[in-house]
Amino acid sequence: MIKLRFSRRVFLAGATALSVLTCGSTAALAAAPADTIVIAKPADPQSLDPAVTMDNNDWTITYPVYQRLMKYETEDGKGLTSVTGDLAESWEASEDGLTWTFKLRDGQKFDDGSAVDAEAVKFSFDRLFRIGQGPSEALPGGVEVTVVDPMTVSFKLSETYAPFLYALANNGAAIVNPKVAEQSDDDGKAYLASNTAGSGAYRLASWERGQTVTLEPNPHYGGDKPAIDKMRIIIIGEASARRLQLEAGDVDIAEALPEDQLEALEGKDGIAVQNYPSLRVTYLYMNNQKAPLDNPDVRRAISYAVDYEGLIAGILNGNGKQMHGPIPDGMWGRDESVIQYSRDIDKAKELLANADAEGAEITFLYSDADPNWEPIAIATQANLAEIGLNLKLEKLANATMRERFDTGDFGMATGNWTPDFADPYMFTSYWFDSDRHGLAGNRSWYTNAQVDELLREAALSSDQAEREKLYAEVQKFVTDEAAYVYLFQKDYRIAMRDNVEGFVFNPMLLDIYNIAGMSK
Amino acid sequence: MLFLALVVIGVSMITFAISHLIPGDPAMLVAGDRATPEIVERIREDMGLNKPLPEQYWIYLKGIVSGDLGTSLRTRRPVTEDLKLYFPATLELAFVALVLATAVGVPLGVASAVWRDKPIDHLVRALAVTGISTPAFWLGLLLIVLFYGDLGLLPGGGRIDPDITRPPTVTGFLLIDALLAGDLTAFTSAVRHIILPALTLGFVHLGVVARQIRSAMMEELQQDYVRTARANGLSRRNVIFREALPNALIPSVTVLGLALGDLLYGAVLTETVFAWPGMGAYVVNSIQALDFPAVMGFTVVVSFAYVLVNLAVDLLYMVIDPRIRSVN
Repeated sequence: MIKLRFSRRVFLAGATALSVLTCGSTAALAAAPADTIVIAKPADPQSLDPAVTMDNNDWTITYPVYQRLMKYETEDGKGLTSVTGDLAESWEASEDGLTWTFKLRDGQKFDDGSAVDAEAVKFSFDRLFRIGQGPSEALPGGVEVTVVDPMTVSFKLSETYAPFLYALANNGAAIVNPKVAEQSDDDGKAYLASNTAGSGAYRLASWERGQTVTLEPNPHYGGDKPAIDKMRIIIIGEASARRLQLEAGDVDIAEALPEDQLEALEGKDGIAVQNYPSLRVTYLYMNNQKAPLDNPDVRRAISYAVDYEGLIAGILNGNGKQMHGPIPDGMWGRDESVIQYSRDIDKAKELLANADAEGAEITFLYSDADPNWEPIAIATQANLAEIGLNLKLEKLANATMRERFDTGDFGMATGNWTPDFADPYMFTSYWFDSDRHGLAGNRSWYTNAQVDELLREAALSSDQAEREKLYAEVQKFVTDEAAYVYLFQKDYRIAMRDNVEGFVFNPMLLDIYNIAGMSK
Repeated sequence: MLFLALVVIGVSMITFAISHLIPGDPAMLVAGDRATPEIVERIREDMGLNKPLPEQYWIYLKGIVSGDLGTSLRTRRPVTEDLKLYFPATLELAFVALVLATAVGVPLGVASAVWRDKPIDHLVRALAVTGISTPAFWLGLLLIVLFYGDLGLLPGGGRIDPDITRPPTVTGFLLIDALLAGDLTAFTSAVRHIILPALTLGFVHLGVVARQIRSAMMEELQQDYVRTARANGLSRRNVIFREALPNALIPSVTVLGLALGDLLYGAVLTETVFAWPGMGAYVVNSIQALDFPAVMGFTVVVSFAYVLVNLAVDLLYMVIDPRIRSVN
């Protein structure tokens, strides 16, 4: 028999190593320090260049780092969709609405101490258009920016653009330090992808890829010194791990937790689960060009067959509300007098019989970009089977699915939409203008010359009351003709430690934190 | 070397073909949600996607030779930069896991073979089956809940405490870099962070190693030379460890070599659970974003590493088996 003996030396060495490894535990597991806000995110940022990124996950960093001419207003701790001046002290539009002149606020500085002036504004917008990627889309083409004097800048539009001021509060309209052009010869693109050069309250201190991103105060910031000295983002891919770290107090805010984790966290000591009404809507595209969906009666039948309440109760745990037309609750211009479809199987069957489309087969695309899409697809398939429509589900990689939207090679599909700027334009011109068929926004390939005309008129007008009237008209058309299936507006839910104070939720700024105003 | 070059060309060609033939336009992905066709077209030109496929491949192949794997569409950085950052983390985790699996698996396998059909053998076999059939994902979460959540003994994820200044990067292996810098605080933190993920990853392979050693040992122990050695008066202990085990290790080295390859590919789930900043998360995100330069870079580098490991295994054979040495 072999005698296996532990020598005393080995044992002692093992015991010592173990105690060294575990004795540091109290320090490592202590709560996040009081001057630091720690946010757990599921994914690393991709690009920090405001002229390139279209992703809220990146905006968490860029938004507090840069300032814009306009910002969203806050009233009694509530984020509004209306805008006011940020870098702009005052502004005025010419009679014809084509020239906008902004006077800049004094004393605003970039993080290297240089002043934010009209040159910087001109540089930022010229650069945005030169790069010409997604973020430039929020502004109309052909904008000319002119330096009037060091602190005055004017924008000349080629045609009036009603949402102009709102678009200036968007992440892409960030004012960038012109010195970035010296950092890399591609207009500073390579540099800004992983560095920041803004005049906001914070600046990037470090980015350990795939691990942590740390922001520190901008020493030259023109506003009040923030209470929070550091914002640290920790990348934790797995939701349960994010939740555990929140419970242990290592993390102050845990993003993107699924409903079941949030339910489990509710009522736990030290944790606050917050619910906010958001402008993020989930809807179904119906390809208006493709039989049988080219027949409005079939689209109406589908709109009557969907079990909206069931979806909201089953998938969102009740944390959401049914849409009423395309414009969500909380956005101006919404008209609640239009029809809101609700489940009525008899009516749906009748409409389908009129259209002679019973038994038709429709392809239905979805991806796992949103975990809710699969249950929605399955529920819709069951709902439509009841009225005799046969949905053929196709689960695709998100990128592949998006390409099919662009070519119109689909019947129905799931989609989410969040506005880039606080204007009903985002939910109307994008969704229904026949110039935007496909990925550009009109995913249902809806075409109606009258609606096109109304939309273009509304986009040119700067009279809000008149625009409301025009949008009300549009809403009548697109609900009556059931251009999309308007599903629901999902609440934005986020779990935080309950000692985090001062967070202002703004439906326009998902995943963005007003850290300069927060404390704990 | 020739073989190596052939493998790299073959692998790059296949991945290139696959990633370019699957439907999905990366330019559209880069352009964002609401881009107009003009913007998408401009990006396509910027990325060279409008060139004919063979030309694109030729450009890519020329790049590989000069160590340029292209620019990631997602992170917009050179793929080599990204891999330099993430690959060492994965390799470090895989190595530590392999060492754990071997250090525990070999003695268990030997014990199991020596005390065949005794309680310890049943226990080891049960453990091996459990190891092989336990999803790393589940085991990882369980370990986090226990050691981080309930006991508070070990950190819940990451590679090092974010408050600790990292030692300067020399090798990219945090454990080694910390030692090189003589930074004990960083080293301890790195060790504490690697324990749970390495256990999780290693546990799966522990079963494979134990079973392999067990069957090889049982075979060796029935050989004539073992009986002869015993008859010549060698102690049982000497026979097992000096005579039988070295022979049993030869086939096991192959298994271990393959296991390292598996560990590199298989670290994905473990890395996700433990927020380990390795290639797993990087490549998963890249695949979802149709970031083909990144996916191809990953495939080429891992295949390269795989071939190298196999080469090392062959060389190791010569060291442990004199017969192979003499034939050569």
